[in-house]
Amino acid sequence: MTWTIARKEILSNLLSYKFYVVILLAAILAATSFFVMTRDYKERLADYGLIRPKAGEPIAVNPPNPLSIFAKGLDEAMARSFEVETIGVTVRAGQKSGNAIFAFFPTPDFLYVVRVVLSLVALLFGFDQVSREKEAGTLRLMLANQTSRSAVLIGKWAGNFLSLAIPFALVTALGIAVLGLDPDIRFSADQVLRLALILVLTLVYIAFFLSLGILISTLTRRASSSVVILLFIWVLLVFILPNLGTLVARQMVDVPSVRALSEKREQVWTREILLRIKGQGDMPSHIRTISAENDALEADYRIKFDRLVNLSKNINRISPVASFVYAVTEVAGTGIGEEGAFKREVVRYKNAVLGRMLASPDMKSSEYPAFLYRYRPLDRVLATGTLFDTAWLAAFGVLFFALSYLAFVRYDVR
Amino acid sequence: MTDPKPILKADDLSKRYEDGILALDHLNLEVRPGEVYCLLGANGAGKTTTINLFLNFIPPTTGTCFINGVDVNKDPLEAKKYVAFVSENVMLYGNFTARQNLDFFAKLGGKTALAKNDYYQVMRRVSLQEKAFDQRVKNFSKGMRQKLGISIAIIKDAPAILLDEPTSGLDPKAATEFLEIMAELKNEGKAILMSTHDIFRAKEIGDRVGIMKEGRLVMERTRQELQYEDLVKIYIDYMKSEPLAV
Repeated sequence: MTWTIARKEILSNLLSYKFYVVILLAAILAATSFFVMTRDYKERLADYGLIRPKAGEPIAVNPPNPLSIFAKGLDEAMARSFEVETIGVTVRAGQKSGNAIFAFFPTPDFLYVVRVVLSLVALLFGFDQVSREKEAGTLRLMLANQTSRSAVLIGKWAGNFLSLAIPFALVTALGIAVLGLDPDIRFSADQVLRLALILVLTLVYIAFFLSLGILISTLTRRASSSVVILLFIWVLLVFILPNLGTLVARQMVDVPSVRALSEKREQVWTREILLRIKGQGDMPSHIRTISAENDALEADYRIKFDRLVNLSKNINRISPVASFVYAVTEVAGTGIGEEGAFKREVVRYKNAVLGRMLASPDMKSSEYPAFLYRYRPLDRVLATGTLFDTAWLAAFGVLFFALSYLAFVRYDVR
Repeated sequence: MTDPKPILKADDLSKRYEDGILALDHLNLEVRPGEVYCLLGANGAGKTTTINLFLNFIPPTTGTCFINGVDVNKDPLEAKKYVAFVSENVMLYGNFTARQNLDFFAKLGGKTALAKNDYYQVMRRVSLQEKAFDQRVKNFSKGMRQKLGISIAIIKDAPAILLDEPTSGLDPKAATEFLEIMAELKNEGKAILMSTHDIFRAKEIGDRVGIMKEGRLVMERTRQELQYEDLVKIYIDYMKSEPLAV
């Protein structure tokens, strides 16, 4: 019975022009996103070719991540040049997006298309599922048969989910296949696996919004009321709540500014140099002190900053959209967790270089180790929050569906 | 010979809505195989509420509905195996063809192994034009949609059929055709419960006619009894009478 209703929903979608308009729009946006972001990636890759360190140069530069085409996240921050000097690490320009318009508008990556456009499309598929059938009188006719309400609801959900998920998965897979033909873009087996995981997360995200659409449809009598309520909820979930956490957390956690941190570093440096001028201690010991105190300042800053980030993330998770963004960016290797791991790796690299510098001051620059950042393995990414965010998103989807069921059981079909 | 067991039975059935309105007041009613029972009454008399209770769209406040001996409230899915339903406004899925609509509702009714020809045969039986079989329903007239609605009921082949004002808004020709089909179904042994405002057609097709007022069944006559009485006069007299004491 469930499958009969699911098939009816699929056929109904296939026969409606709304379906083709929506799918075409989503496909055009996905294709545009791939095109724009591929160009952006290639430009940043070309920049990397220019700024990448020569053999032995104590500079940490990470090449742009090809998965940033799908979720750019903090990839630009991770692709900057970190130059190790005796006084610490100097952050220099990295690969910048050639497209200046990105500064005004959100980066139109795949994540953005899914987060904003696909969520709206999923709501458009769900908003009138029950109210439309009630208005048309077909709900009565359906339930006059030996069809349970759960079969109707599951069938509707499944039919619409498949109607949306299959074309979208096909369009995305086609886009990835076309990207794979580009000689400048090489995906490793691990990255292909990560892409597959991003696609799965996207399907969970679609399922969440579809469940929300159906829930509101079961709580309203008219499709017109349903659409107004859903648009309000959509704006709240996609745009307002994910930013609210950051604003609230800033009021709750005091994090020193980057400028204050720099000034403290300069104070340490000045103090040690003055001591050296006064003839107290040798230069290597002052450099070690500067390095150690800078590391301590950085660590202290990092602790406060991480506290702010974690609090923001937790508050933002009120909206499952934030969970989706965290999960996708972490899987892509462009998330907050990955950036933190990258920065810790840069500090380790600096300490290794500095150790060598101080151990043998006459060491040739060609003998400094090269910086190589290895992205955290997927299992670790999943274990450190991503699995939770996925489960959180899925739990909201299940909760909304369960609430739809409860509402539909009591729904007056007359 | 004893009467066959009723297919549709309302046993002391009452329905009071949450706003306090008593829509149905201790209704007792039986419809046997091969019998057409017409429920007459003004708007709000309780006719549609009765049908909604038989279809488990709303729960009764007291009393029980039985379809083929199955308690509708206790086992609604089992009970609904034995009943087909035709509503006042058969809307159906406008983007689907007549056959696609028929196929969908036939499957919901448990008929999963029907061939294209089976659908065509049923649509021919209700005199739907051949060219309409594979046309989208959104362009159908009300009469055509009602014919398709009755096709859905026929294809389910249930022993009971519930009709909620099925001839309302139909032109006289379409209404006559509709009643001819009802007569055929009755002859096949179906138990038919039909709510209607149409006194003349109720008298024409009904084996029994009940008049409802303010949720109560205030009168019931058999076809034989109505041969000697004027149903129109009885109906108008009941409608004009004082409100019933609560």
